[in-house]
Amino acid sequence: MLQEPTLYTVKGMAILDNDGNRILAKYYDKKVFPTVKEQKAFEKNLFNKTHRANAEIIMLDGLTCVYRSNVDLFFYVMGSSYENELILMSVLNCLYDSVSQILRKNVEKRVVLENLDIVMLALDEICDGGIILEADSGNVVQRVALRADDIPLGEQTVAQVLQTAKEQLKWSLLK
Amino acid sequence: MGFKRDKKEEEDGGGNPFQNVEKTTVLQEARTFNDTPVNPRKCTNILTKILYLLNQGEVLGTMEATEAFFAMTKLFQSRDVVLRRMVYLGIKELAGVAEDVIIVTSSLTKDMTGREDMYRAAAIRALCSITDASMLQAIERYMKQAIVDRHAAVSSAALVSSLHLTRVAGDVVKRWVNEAQEAINSDSVMVQYHALGVLYHIRKSDRLAVTKLVAKLTRMSLKSPYAVCMLIRIAVRLVEDDEVSSDSQLFEFIESCLRHKSEMVIYEAAHAIVNMKRTTARELNQAVSVLQLFCSSSKPTLRFAAVRTLNKVAMSHPAAVTACNLDLENLITDANRSVATLAITTLLKTGAESSVDRLMKQISSFVSEISDEFKIVVVRAIRSLCLKFPRKHSVLMNFLSAMLRDEGGLEYKASIADTIITIIEENSEAKETVLFFYNTMLWYKNAFHTSASSLKIVNTPV
Repeated sequence: MLQEPTLYTVKGMAILDNDGNRILAKYYDKKVFPTVKEQKAFEKNLFNKTHRANAEIIMLDGLTCVYRSNVDLFFYVMGSSYENELILMSVLNCLYDSVSQILRKNVEKRVVLENLDIVMLALDEICDGGIILEADSGNVVQRVALRADDIPLGEQTVAQVLQTAKEQLKWSLLK
Repeated sequence: MGFKRDKKEEEDGGGNPFQNVEKTTVLQEARTFNDTPVNPRKCTNILTKILYLLNQGEVLGTMEATEAFFAMTKLFQSRDVVLRRMVYLGIKELAGVAEDVIIVTSSLTKDMTGREDMYRAAAIRALCSITDASMLQAIERYMKQAIVDRHAAVSSAALVSSLHLTRVAGDVVKRWVNEAQEAINSDSVMVQYHALGVLYHIRKSDRLAVTKLVAKLTRMSLKSPYAVCMLIRIAVRLVEDDEVSSDSQLFEFIESCLRHKSEMVIYEAAHAIVNMKRTTARELNQAVSVLQLFCSSSKPTLRFAAVRTLNKVAMSHPAAVTACNLDLENLITDANRSVATLAITTLLKTGAESSVDRLMKQISSFVSEISDEFKIVVVRAIRSLCLKFPRKHSVLMNFLSAMLRDEGGLEYKASIADTIITIIEENSEAKETVLFFYNTMLWYKNAFHTSASSLKIVNTPV
């Protein structure tokens, strides 16, 4: 019953689409779902139990899972059933808010996939091997190196806008 | 219909640029990494595809991984920030599979000590993922510096990495205790938390050292709620281990956390007090009233945490929970079925005999929606209820029989069977209903083959 005090808090994080398929997922404890097959089976089960009820928290397979969804995306953070649920929730909020800021509030599957590199970097900034590395979405976004041309037009200088336009033209010709 | 599906697939395909990515093709593409000058956009894209495939569960052989890893090292030529960061991710992902990964040590050491702040923290974490005990000495000096760096990201990265490194080299980290001690005074919420984690890890086998650490930290009032939660857990451990003279100062600290401004800390403290052996009735009441407040929160997670803890208190101190009965009543129709289940089972433990029928009816309306974990919670509640109110056995047995016929895992079914056995053994009146159950159990036995408990039930003399 008495848990060893440790920084290893998060068992896993996942972003699923609206069919319950994995977009990105990370598991940090080798003892929990050692194979990808088990992980995906768990994700399917989790999705089936959560996609209709927007209830924010569920216990499944001995894990406490907190979740949030938007349009066609589902965000999950998993921890042990002894973990403080509010700590897990703070990680989930950070994950969601970071992704939301990276995608400029267009939290949907297509946009996630278009920015998958930055979303991967964000996941890596939030949790390192099961330890919560950062729980403030502002800090996470600052650390994931958003590209200059991703800054909204209003905040760019004229030179940057021209440069971006040139780049985009070049790429549209190359495609 | 067919047309619709085609269209949907088409849309999905168009929306997912990674849908048709194949391992062999991507690894071919990775040869582009050798080109000079490096095209950052193109290479980032290829690297993203590789990492995506790995994340989807694709397995690379040692040869493939090593080849990809070496191609990736060429990308260090580019100064593009996103690309460099993706290379770090790639290093971490492939570190376990590829051979000779230590080849990037000098590049990473350069980045970790360099001037580009966007690189440093992430470089430390990548470096430590390829470091083994023999190499640790070479980077020790830089790690010490990084722990006390004024950038929170760098300091956190170094602290967290040093904790991971205890797996490959348990002792080296002990030499960094002074730096960790300095980091605990940081203004950053996370650095403080990570520093405490490292300090506790270094000292946990030395009880006196832990006592001193806790005494010092409880006095300096930590800024980070995460660190305070951790400190509460350490304090609980000290109090629980010490059976002779319980240190009242430690308990006072935990109690004072009930008035913390962060909900996370308040809940941690309440949860700790409820679960401690030495808690007196008065102290318990304080914790329970905090949990009672959380029951009416607008956040489902807070309600869940509160009612889950109250459910536990109801087992050991049902009287303490009766004060919350009104709040629990409000939760029995909660949209979160786990919250509703916990509220109902708590009420069953603390309420009067007259409310049993009503509560059982409420719970049967959604029992099929909840997970096995919670069905077991329900079964356990019914067991204690039957022992408490023997006259209610027919309502409860009916409910159990319905549950037994529903879908569910073996563990869940076994818990029902065990409960039925207990009821039969404890209650002579219930024996009459057993014949009816005998049939159910036979059906169950045939449907699920034999499990230990179902056999036991079938053999119970009727």
